[in-house]
Amino acid sequence: MISLQGVGVRVGGFALTDISLDVPTGGYGLVIGPSGSGKTTLLEAIAGHTPLDAGRIVLRNRDVTHAPPERREVGIVYQQYHLFPHLSVAGNIGYGIREEAGGNRQERIHDLAQLLGLTQLLERNVSGLSGGEQQRVALARALAPRPGILLLDEPFAAVDPATRRELRKELRALHEREGITTLQVTHDFEDAMRLGDVVAVLADGRVAQAGSPEAVFRYPKTKFVAEFIGTGTILRGRVERTSPIDAATGRFAAVFHANGLSLEVVAEREGEAYAVLRPADLLLSRSEPEGPAPRNRLLATVTRIERESAVAHVYLSAGTTELLATVMSSTAEELGLRADLRVTVSIKATAVHLI
Amino acid sequence: MRPRLSLWSVALWLLAALLVLFVAGPLVRLLLQATPASLGAALSDREVGAAIWLTVLTASGATLLGLGLGVPLAYLLARSRFPGRRIIAGIVELPVVVPHPVAGIALLLFLGRQSALGGGLARLGLEVVNHVPGIIAGMLFVSAPLVVSAAREAFRAIDPKLERVARTLGDSGWAAFRRVTLPLAGRGVLAGAVLGWARSVSEFGAIVILTYNPKVASVLIYDRFTLFGLPAAVPAAVLLLLLALVVFLVVQLLAPDPVRR
Repeated sequence: MISLQGVGVRVGGFALTDISLDVPTGGYGLVIGPSGSGKTTLLEAIAGHTPLDAGRIVLRNRDVTHAPPERREVGIVYQQYHLFPHLSVAGNIGYGIREEAGGNRQERIHDLAQLLGLTQLLERNVSGLSGGEQQRVALARALAPRPGILLLDEPFAAVDPATRRELRKELRALHEREGITTLQVTHDFEDAMRLGDVVAVLADGRVAQAGSPEAVFRYPKTKFVAEFIGTGTILRGRVERTSPIDAATGRFAAVFHANGLSLEVVAEREGEAYAVLRPADLLLSRSEPEGPAPRNRLLATVTRIERESAVAHVYLSAGTTELLATVMSSTAEELGLRADLRVTVSIKATAVHLI
Repeated sequence: MRPRLSLWSVALWLLAALLVLFVAGPLVRLLLQATPASLGAALSDREVGAAIWLTVLTASGATLLGLGLGVPLAYLLARSRFPGRRIIAGIVELPVVVPHPVAGIALLLFLGRQSALGGGLARLGLEVVNHVPGIIAGMLFVSAPLVVSAAREAFRAIDPKLERVARTLGDSGWAAFRRVTLPLAGRGVLAGAVLGWARSVSEFGAIVILTYNPKVASVLIYDRFTLFGLPAAVPAAVLLLLLALVVFLVVQLLAPDPVRR
């Protein structure tokens, strides 16, 4: 497990203050925050590269607050990978494997290479590798000494979206297979939704909010968190395909079922999924709306309205599902929105964000 | 279409060529002066041979000392933030602007038998002034800045995160330095060492004040020139120039082309 207890770090003019976070053994924790919020500094403090100003760090039930990095048994993967340029792929992967520890170095290198699809590249120089390949080598190198704890610094930031999806899937599988307690920092909330058991949102060097990804997304505690992750409605449910898969895009029309609610969606995969509804994508009307676009129509009741100068946040209840819509103040006036009013909520199929 | 030659580009090339000629001319002239016979004579001259041998040995000693003391300093300057870092970096660069006879006088005052340090060393049996250690001291003083700045730049070019990765993979600070930083910086450090070595070989001003005898090559050449005139000085001078050219070639092979990089 990873337990940060009131951690404070000061680097240059920058400070992390009172960071507390617990990732259970085998769990996957995420720290999200915009660039410059101190995410990398936090990882380096956990790895032992930056001394603490305050607090304690406990890894695997051992207080490592004052232990040097080589005694902490953590693996770290930096955003820019930082492979050793003077070593081959195999040399990089095997760097941290100690022969004297009784491990078979070659065997471990080959196991990891196979797991991450690097077998063909083992003798290669690292300079010619693609971003995705470098990422895998960095991951294999970090995992090779069986560290028990893995720290990932924006692992998907430097790869294209297709590679990112693939890597995310691999990482999740790897995490389950190796049972390794993982802490990842990211600025991408989608990473958190797909991967995380525990999420902490960092702002101004402090934890603005921590909890399960769903809870943080659904109930942002501060304006910063809400703005940063983009609050809205998140539904857990199942995707069922209703049309053939488009060969070109790999996408298909489907229905998303959640809480007795059915939404037409455009999906990439079937099965368990989250649907994210951005408040601005929910259109409200008092009558059945017209329009050619395939729209989902739901009947809902307004439960509460929060007005700001230009927009109004409208809280709705559709059966057992809570929805949040943001409309222009003028629209709210025209519709005469008030609590207990029955309205029709329209959402384009393409506006339902499945993750 | 070929670009038209402007007055500016003509002037540029002309001025550049003048300086190249000015540098290369005397050296070529000196090389042409030497005949195989005079070189053979110089090589078989036991005093010349001894001076060159002494020069090579003391320069190597000064370089090793410079590496041993300069690489840790260079590493600290490149990696650590500590109060007075800039002042220390400046102090190390200082010998570059100190005229060499002035450096010799300063070293004489610092290391002479009358000084606390020189007296103490002499009591321990290490005579500095007018002995071989004096030569090495002079060479170290003028060459250390080259070694330190080359090594510092080499270390600075290496992302410290590479070492951090090595540390999390189980390396101690020393092991990470030895397995990652040094192999990556090795070329730059070596180039600095060769440059420092060449600087040591060419040193005259400080050495001539600290240790006239035994004579290093530069002192011997000066000695022959003042005692016997130009012809007596040329063969040894050519030998020293050839030695310098070989070292220069090595430096060129080691150092990456700064323009292409």
